[in-house]
Amino acid sequence: MSAAFDEGHVEADGRRIRYLEAGRGAALVHLQGAGGLRLTPAQDLLARRFRVVVLEVPEIDRSAELASTLATAVRRMGAVSFNLMGSSFSSAAALSLALQEPQRVSALVLEAPTVLRPEARDVELERRLADLAMPTLVLFGTADGAVSPTMGRVYKERIPSCHLVFVYAAAHAISTDRPEAFAEVVADFLERREAFVISRGQTVIHP
Amino acid sequence: MKVSFFETVRYVPPRPLPSEWPVPSGAYDHDAGAAAYRGMIERLEYVEALGFDWVSVSEHHYSPRILTPSPIVSAAFIAAHLKRITIALLGPIVPHSNPVRVAEELAMLDTMAQGRLVVGLLRGTSNEALTYDLNPAEARERTDEGMELILRAWTEPQPFGWQGRHFQYRTISIWPRPLQQPHPPTFALGTSRESLEFAARHHLGCGVSYGPFEVMGRATQHYREACARHGWRPSPEQILYRANMLVAETDEEAHALLRAQSNQAPFTMRPGVRDAMMTLDSRNIAGQARSPVVSGALPTTFIGSPDTVVEQVRRCREVVGAGVLDLSLHPPGSGDLGPLTRALELFGAKVLPRIREI
Repeated sequence: MSAAFDEGHVEADGRRIRYLEAGRGAALVHLQGAGGLRLTPAQDLLARRFRVVVLEVPEIDRSAELASTLATAVRRMGAVSFNLMGSSFSSAAALSLALQEPQRVSALVLEAPTVLRPEARDVELERRLADLAMPTLVLFGTADGAVSPTMGRVYKERIPSCHLVFVYAAAHAISTDRPEAFAEVVADFLERREAFVISRGQTVIHP
Repeated sequence: MKVSFFETVRYVPPRPLPSEWPVPSGAYDHDAGAAAYRGMIERLEYVEALGFDWVSVSEHHYSPRILTPSPIVSAAFIAAHLKRITIALLGPIVPHSNPVRVAEELAMLDTMAQGRLVVGLLRGTSNEALTYDLNPAEARERTDEGMELILRAWTEPQPFGWQGRHFQYRTISIWPRPLQQPHPPTFALGTSRESLEFAARHHLGCGVSYGPFEVMGRATQHYREACARHGWRPSPEQILYRANMLVAETDEEAHALLRAQSNQAPFTMRPGVRDAMMTLDSRNIAGQARSPVVSGALPTTFIGSPDTVVEQVRRCREVVGAGVLDLSLHPPGSGDLGPLTRALELFGAKVLPRIREI
């Protein structure tokens, strides 16, 4: 674990939920994918610009049903409104939480979401994606072998203010494979919202 | 066997030129240049009438040897003048291009040419890294990423951003898209393991060039094996071999013509630059290291009478597995047009009809 992150627990709906927290600024709640609570270099990078709270999602295979529990946990930690990021399997919980409490989720990031799969499309969920009003960023690694990156277009089609970004040479765990690239685009999106499409890159070589 | 004519634009210098690359721009003669491009169209009309399947163009800079620094401009000009032949754009050099721009221009060209476009994507020869200040050590990575982005831009129906290693865009959504779907027939050109495996991974054709059949056969075998690992099998038309051919009425005459040719490539880099480049520009054939080609004439692997050449083509098909030959019938840098015209006549009459069924 990075020294910058503190470990804690929060009670919600009779559950004791473990979390890791670091950084200051606007809150970024991260629901990790399968594999338990573990930090990536990307979270370190994001913690330089945000208050990053990494929540351990209990029972990840039915995590969508736990969205209100997670919302309560986040409120108990003092974050009334927050940015929300869901990775892989936790994309289901992140989407449910964003749909249940849209006034609290100021922006949504989905890292390689698995909630929609080409072989098991969820028509009802796809319909409800149209209700997501907050700015949303969906990321897929171009080398994702777990879920086809072409699924990105479904989110882009359904979510009204969705931006789709492909992270080159990253597999399913984008934030592990290309942490700098991942953290840069996520932070830029969270700070500037839709204006993140406007480049701030500088090309002056010698003044 | 499909046959492609490698068009290099035959610039006939009115005065002797310096031999070093880059050739001073001031040595260029605009009347000779205009004549060369007029001659290109006249020649290609003849090539089309002879029955060639494709005409190919490539990207090279700063010398008259191959006068197509922008192959997309050449291809568009050719497509506008010729009505039937397929245009094989065997450039652009990906690592020093804007991949989104390449995707847009090729989609335009495919559409304007009514789907007559074939595309080859490549890293480029060593000296081309100097043209647009590209670090040769980054060329391989930029090529792979650029090619992948071009393919994505052609096929992704929704606007997307690209968070790459060497390229970054927040908004990509090209118009037009290619006429041929999902995209024009595309080859990853080069003998390197990286290029062959990229082609296999993305279900593209592969293109090898100039080397002896056995050596190029090792590369294409590596490609076929990689395709099998990805669960597919390429057709012969997905293996392209670019080569020099010297055909004459007799074997003796052909070999005499070869002996009369210079064995030095025209317009070479200064030795200090060349040597430094060799340390930075790593190349391989299917994983076996080889030196980058920075000097010396390219070999002629088809040579002899029509009968001999037909047999060599048959052997090439067996050993390399190529279903497309992209041919220079006279050294690309030569402005001596008489031998080229004679070679075209002979090839069209006595070789081309006989290699169709190979």
